[in-house]
Formats: sequence, structure tokens, C-alpha cells
Amino acid sequence: MILIVNTTSDNAITGELKRCIDEKTLEAEIVECASLKISHCIGCNYCWLKTPGECSIKDDYEIILKKIIHADQLWVISDTALGFIDHKGKNIFDRILPIATMYLKFKGDQMRHVPRYDQRTDIGIIYSGEVERDYMDRWTERAALNFESRSLGVFSKEQIKEAVSCMC
Amino acid sequence: MHVLIINGSPRIKKFSNTDKILGKFTKGLCENGTTFEQYEVSDKEQWDKMREAYYNNDNVLIALPLYVECIPGLLLEFLETLKPKNDGTKIAFILQSGFAEGIQLRCGEAYLEILARKLGCEYMGTLVKGDNFSIRFFEGEQQDRITEPYTEMGREYSKQGNFRSEDCKKFTGPEVFPAYVRFIVGLMQKTVAKKMFAKVAQNWGCTKAIDYKPYS
Ligand SMILES: Cc1cc2nc3c(=O)[nH]c(=O)nc-3n(C[C@H](O)[C@H](O)[C@H](O)COP(=O)(O)O)c2cc1C
Repeated sequence: MILIVNTTSDNAITGELKRCIDEKTLEAEIVECASLKISHCIGCNYCWLKTPGECSIKDDYEIILKKIIHADQLWVISDTALGFIDHKGKNIFDRILPIATMYLKFKGDQMRHVPRYDQRTDIGIIYSGEVERDYMDRWTERAALNFESRSLGVFSKEQIKEAVSCMC
Repeated sequence: MHVLIINGSPRIKKFSNTDKILGKFTKGLCENGTTFEQYEVSDKEQWDKMREAYYNNDNVLIALPLYVECIPGLLLEFLETLKPKNDGTKIAFILQSGFAEGIQLRCGEAYLEILARKLGCEYMGTLVKGDNFSIRFFEGEQQDRITEPYTEMGREYSKQGNFRSEDCKKFTGPEVFPAYVRFIVGLMQKTVAKKMFAKVAQNWGCTKAIDYKPYS
């Protein structure tokens, strides 16, 4: 399953995605965050040590978390700020921590958290606005490492066709 | 010199590792008469004052935990409200993280240089160091053992006004651990560390296994 999380209020992007997805008959779910309440991560560590796997913040992020653990791909659509995805886009990644456990191990030459679930979810970014492209590529690769998955790439909203070609 | 210090951690001050690091850092910083004021991003009530202080100070230091390879969403939210300064303001960063190897923080560090540019400030470097996850779980001497080295870095910053010196670069420690260290630490993670986590969890009132799957 492909999970698409739109943190912008521009549903023209998801509208076009929907058309492309239908054409390719892909199995996808789209979450529009505009009407959802999604907080930032407060770093309480409860999801690792008090209520393993569960976030202490009871808001709409739970909807996304429950889908991520069944998704082969996670696409986050985000506005940009300061050369990067904006805080709404970043919060989707910060709040993802419950899918990892507190346990640690080495993966290659670097330490990683032991994943909580068997599912591996590759990540892709579709952005609206200006970003530092090289940095975004690098960051997405690094972020994926943390989830033991791969980066699907970083695409501007004008490159939706290219993004869709990476969806399967 | 007077420095505006912003703790960029979303975790409340009482439990923030960054705050404990800053406690030691500012001890060294003040020895030569440097003064500072400190604000916490975790407390939204301080945001207006923090913004004002940002415009009124020409030495800014943001200390932050690495959050998924970059800056925390909440810090980003605050920074999005700032206008670029372009008035010669100098900005430096303390980047600290859970994982211990220097290589884990380089992607975050690279962003901070971009951020300085976006804010219209002169980039004075980043003090990079990991292995700070456990600060909040310790008190007293045990906590000091982790945080005390930052005192010297505070002295260094008050002298140089930047984190570009060799000593600051060395402060990071190894980029990756040699294979034999990885082997030993890997074994410890499977044994003693698991027991330690279980103990903390128990103290926090956890009733589930650490690798419990609530949603499968
Ligand atoms: C949402 C979240 C994401 C994190 N991401 C990373 C990471 O990518 N790499 C790392 O080494 N540590 C990571 N950490 C660990 C923190 O950087 C570390 O525990 C830090 O000392 C917390 O400082 P604070 O108490 O001041 O917030 C993360 C922690 C949280 C809560």
C-alpha cells in the first residue's frame, strides 16, 4: 500500500496524484492533514519506555501511524521553509518514533534503533515552494536509513509525474 | 560579549538534555565576563520575548537536539516566524544527539549552515557531539560526567566567538567506531542495555514489553 500524507492545504496536488494513481491502478491511501490536528513531538520518550509503540499525544497523528505500519511507501507532501520542508512536514517524521523500539543495534557501521514492526516503509517527498535540493536529497536518504528503508526521492509539485513513476 | 541562547529542544526544560548541557557550557562561558540570556522553545509563552531578543542581539547561539537527522519540528515552527536579519548578526549552534558517532550528526550540521544563511546571519560554526541520550536518566555526579566537558567548550566559545577551533572539532569524538568497539557495544546492547531499559520502563510504570506492538 502507498500512503500519501498531504500536510499542505493545497489539494490540487493530491487531486492530480489521485488521477495518476487511478490510471496506474495503484493501491493508495491519501490523508489530508488540513482538517486534522497534528502536534509536534515533545520528546517525552513514552513511546519507547512507558507505553511502548504508543504516542502520549492523543491527536490525529495516530491515524497516520496506524497506516504507516502497513505501508510500503510513505509520501509526504509538504510546504517549505528555510530551505527545508516546513514544520508541518517535519512533524510527520518526528512523530514516527513509535515505529522504532528503544533497543539499539549496529546496522553496517552505524547504530540504529531496532524496528518495532516487520514492515519497511520507503519514503518520498513532494514539496511546494523553494528548497535546497541537494540537502533535501541528502536528508531524505538519511531519514530513510533510520527506518531501515530507502529514499524514493524528492520531487517538486511540478514533477508529480516523476514522483508517480516511483510509486508501485 | 552578551549572547542570546535559545534551547531548541521541544522537551520541557526540567527534562531537557540540552538544558543540562547548557548549564555546564554557560559556566565556562561566563568565566571571562561574558553574559547571556536563555529561552526555551518548548515554552510557547516565551516565543514573543525570544523573537524580540533575536532581533536585539548580535550574538545568537542555538542549542538543539538532533531530531530525525535535522532540527526539531517545533524549533522549525519558531524559526519560520523570524525575518532574515542581514545586519552582521553572528549565529553559532550546539548540536547534540542520542547516537554517539559523529557521522550521525553531519546531516543536521549541514542544515545549520544553510539555516544561518536563510536567517541572514553569519555562520560561526556548530559544536557537534552525540551520546547524550541518557543525561535525563541520571542525576548528580553521573550526569556531570556526561555534561562537564561542555564547560571547556563554553570557555572556548567566549574566547573565540565561534566553534571553528581544532579543540571544538575534536570534541565530536570518532566519526564511526572501530569494528571491535561495535562488536562489544553491540553485545552490550543485547544484554546489559536491555536490562537497563527495562528498569527505566518499570520505574515509569510501563506494563508492556519494550518491543510490544500495539497496532499489528
Ligand atoms: C523525535 C526524536 C527524533 C530524534 N532523532 C534523532 C536522530 O536522528 N539521531 C540521534 O542521534 N538522536 C535523535 N534523537 C535523540 C535526541 O537528539 C537526544 O535524546 C537528545 O539528547 C535530546 O535532547 P533534549 O532532552 O534537550 O530534547 C531524537 C529524539 C527524538 C525525541
